Amino acid sequence: MIRREFLYYGKKLLVFAASILVLSIVVFYVARLAPGDPLVSYYSDRVEKMSPEERAWAEEKLGLSDPIHVQYVRWLSGALHGDFGISFKYKADVLEVIRGRLVNTLLLGGTGVILIFGLALLLGILCAWFEDRWLDRIICKAGTIISCIPEFWLSLVAILIFAVWLRVLPSSGAYSAGKSHDIADRIIHLILPMSIVVVEHLWYYAYMIRNKILEEVRADYVLLAKSKGMSRRKIMFRHCLRNVMPSYLSIMAISVPHILGGTYIVETVFSYPGIGALSYESARYQDYHLLMLLCILTGAVVILCNLLAQVINERIDPRIRANEAAEMLEVKQIG
Amino acid sequence: MSETILDVQHLTHQFRLTKHTTIRAVDDVSFQLQRGEIFGLVGESGSGKSTVARCIMNLYRPAGGRIFYRGVNVCDPKQYRMHKNMLQTTRQMIFQDSTSSLNQRMTVADIIMEPMAINHIAPPGGSLRAEAERQLHDVGMDASYLNKYPPELSGGMRQRVAIARALSMEPDFIVADEPIASLDVSIQAQIINLFKHLQAEHGFTFLFIAHDLAVVKYLCDRVGVMCHGKLVEIAPAAELFAHPAHPYTKLLLSAVPIPDPRLERARVLQTFDPSDLQDTGEMREICRDHFARMPVEGVPH
Amino acid sequence: MAELLEVKNLSVSFETAQGEIQAVRDVSFSLKSGEVLAIIGESGCGKSVLCKSIMKLLCNKARIKSGSITVDGVDITRYRERDMQKLRGRLFSMVFQDPMTALNPTMTVGSQIAEAVRVHHPGMSRDAVYQRVIALMELVGIERPDERYGLYPYHFSGGMRQRSVMAIALASAPKILFADEPTTSLDVTIQAQILDLLRDIQRKLGTATILVSHDLGVVARIADRIAVMYAGKIVEIGTAEEIYYDPRHPYTWGLMMALPAYAKAGEPLYTIPGMPPNLLDPPKGDAFACRNAYALAIDYEEMPPMFKVSDTHYAATWLLDERAPKVTPPLRGGRNV
Repeated sequence: MIRREFLYYGKKLLVFAASILVLSIVVFYVARLAPGDPLVSYYSDRVEKMSPEERAWAEEKLGLSDPIHVQYVRWLSGALHGDFGISFKYKADVLEVIRGRLVNTLLLGGTGVILIFGLALLLGILCAWFEDRWLDRIICKAGTIISCIPEFWLSLVAILIFAVWLRVLPSSGAYSAGKSHDIADRIIHLILPMSIVVVEHLWYYAYMIRNKILEEVRADYVLLAKSKGMSRRKIMFRHCLRNVMPSYLSIMAISVPHILGGTYIVETVFSYPGIGALSYESARYQDYHLLMLLCILTGAVVILCNLLAQVINERIDPRIRANEAAEMLEVKQIG
Repeated sequence: MSETILDVQHLTHQFRLTKHTTIRAVDDVSFQLQRGEIFGLVGESGSGKSTVARCIMNLYRPAGGRIFYRGVNVCDPKQYRMHKNMLQTTRQMIFQDSTSSLNQRMTVADIIMEPMAINHIAPPGGSLRAEAERQLHDVGMDASYLNKYPPELSGGMRQRVAIARALSMEPDFIVADEPIASLDVSIQAQIINLFKHLQAEHGFTFLFIAHDLAVVKYLCDRVGVMCHGKLVEIAPAAELFAHPAHPYTKLLLSAVPIPDPRLERARVLQTFDPSDLQDTGEMREICRDHFARMPVEGVPH
Repeated sequence: MAELLEVKNLSVSFETAQGEIQAVRDVSFSLKSGEVLAIIGESGCGKSVLCKSIMKLLCNKARIKSGSITVDGVDITRYRERDMQKLRGRLFSMVFQDPMTALNPTMTVGSQIAEAVRVHHPGMSRDAVYQRVIALMELVGIERPDERYGLYPYHFSGGMRQRSVMAIALASAPKILFADEPTTSLDVTIQAQILDLLRDIQRKLGTATILVSHDLGVVARIADRIAVMYAGKIVEIGTAEEIYYDPRHPYTWGLMMALPAYAKAGEPLYTIPGMPPNLLDPPKGDAFACRNAYALAIDYEEMPPMFKVSDTHYAATWLLDERAPKVTPPLRGGRNV
């Protein structure tokens, strides 16, 4: 049994490693094949005045003169030792460049995901409970309308109301000058961008939960539970919600990258120093090493979340096992 | 002696469940169908009766054994390709669930015309539509149904359309897999009458798969009983119902509800242990045309 | 014996976009404690809706338009969900058609039965609940219950699942058990076992049973009385013997003659012509009139009342009126004549 578990997770780990490797190769090649001059991000305007000899020397120095596969092997062996190269633009180790911003994005996206997860569940249950009554209708309608409003516009309106008119919340940045370790200050800076991220994504998941619960409510076993005298509340929480959770968890796991990606616009509008803006810059200005690291980080998150979703699906939900067993009906059933 | 139209020899089929488990759905089944007879194949769910039908219709590729239809081994890809046209036009199938076996987005006329159009058959009735109308009339529906969609029809009507589609090819051989199981009693009677009437008129050979023994007794000339993938008894219908030989057949017959309270309450359910069904067994003739599966004599226990 | 359940002039309708579907129309019947009443009819005749409306398990689009439901001397017609919860399980419970979907696939069978035990005995100790579940599983014929307590529904075959559903339904020893086509999705041999189990339990516990079915054979085995439903109405009701050996309503004749078991070899089966009426707009007069070979002119005009044949046998057909012409029934004594 233990051996089987070991094999199961070993296989998943292998898939993860292989996916990352393939991803790194593809990104490495595509980035280098894309038009643009990487020297610009290192030397900025000076590039235009360089003589061919100077250019050759600069390329040699940055390791750009070799064939692509040689460059890749060099990058890979460095990366395996923890050296991901330097950022051309910031002229520092890419890990250093990313570190501070990664925390900011995780703070915004991570808490955002958790909040969306919880609030969507709450709203979904509420809607399902009051199916087709006014509360359900209002929530569903409001959700549809808000989801249609572009994020940047909503952000600007929020800034206008809370930062300009009411002056209660800061309009930009992750912390006030000189207060980077003040948690309260960070939280205050988080409120506006976080609200936008949550409000934009919440409805989709709430609506999904609502429909999934309603699907369960219409199942026969709910009728049986009712006929044995259980209350609606108990049926909802003990039966329906329990059956909805595994698929909800796995869908949430898949959508983590989606929500994280959604923070990019918000980061830009609120000038929030996160990874989103950095990714755009690195791709725009051929900052190869920075781009590689960011792509691999994002890729790792996506693949990890997908694997997590798979594990949840295959391991937690007895119905998946039931389906496997259903095919063995004749062989193993009792009776 | 009439002509043998279908000859199933030692048919075996297994489903693979996981890497290590396979289940034998059909296990060494042999039987023959004579031209023009109605043959009933009965058994409970999981007995493999539908799998036999699907193997015969080339929907599954059997793991072992041979199936000859009009002398053509349909399991042999080479022979199948050579006689593809004949096999596709003269054999037709009707399914249990007409809701899913008819395309919801095609009109009744299109559904009936489709097989003719696919096989490039010149409709005897002139245009394809006129032919569809004639087929529909044969199954007891009028032309007003031609432009309707399956969801607008009742279960019985849909099953009639499925029958009309099968008959539009003027087949020699029809396989019906539980065609009346999902219908109401009064509609069942209509469809059974229709089968009987059409069979008498066209004289096709009919493999009727069912679990309702009362229907089989009424409709079929000969009956085969399946249990756990094995054919355990085969006999003319009247003979089988009067003198069942195999213990499983006895159990099955004893379980059929009788619509008569006094008889029904007095009925005693027979018992049969499926593990009695040994792997080694042979069909032995008890009396004329009546075969039952018996343990092989002389095999030490 | 006192009437355990009395339904009077019950009408149930569904509100739909197309209009009002009159699923149950003016139905009256009663049930004594410990008896088995079978409700027979084809799909869409309202037999399931009738049961669910008594237990108030219908969706919120359904309305009880008129009539009354009295259980154990208490009128529950106007009871709200909260009051019904206290009655369900203890007074009446239900067994459903498809045991594959009636059990929650993500909970073990034992815990689902335990839940049913605990609903009406919240203070019961864990051990006592377990003992009760084991006893229930034994009652419905699940062998080696302690081993099977922790199994999921997917480990069980159809018959076993139906037994589990029955254990759940019987958990609080209800006085009335509704069985809605309990054997329709099962094999014949399993069907016979489940029917015998229903009969055994009914004898052992004295539970009154309402058995809904479309199959006249199934019903013959265990029913004391039978009600035949057509287009939302009970058209004939009587003891099993009366219905099988002396049916009076032309629809009952039709249903019986359509059975292959009654057919003579070589003759076509009798069929009821036409289709059941649309309950969105039921016809004036007798709903069966247009399919009825024996229909009288009055059938198209006026709904027939329930005519009394004997103290226990009633049928809604104008043929029983003293002014009607004498008609010889096409079948007698359970066989075609």
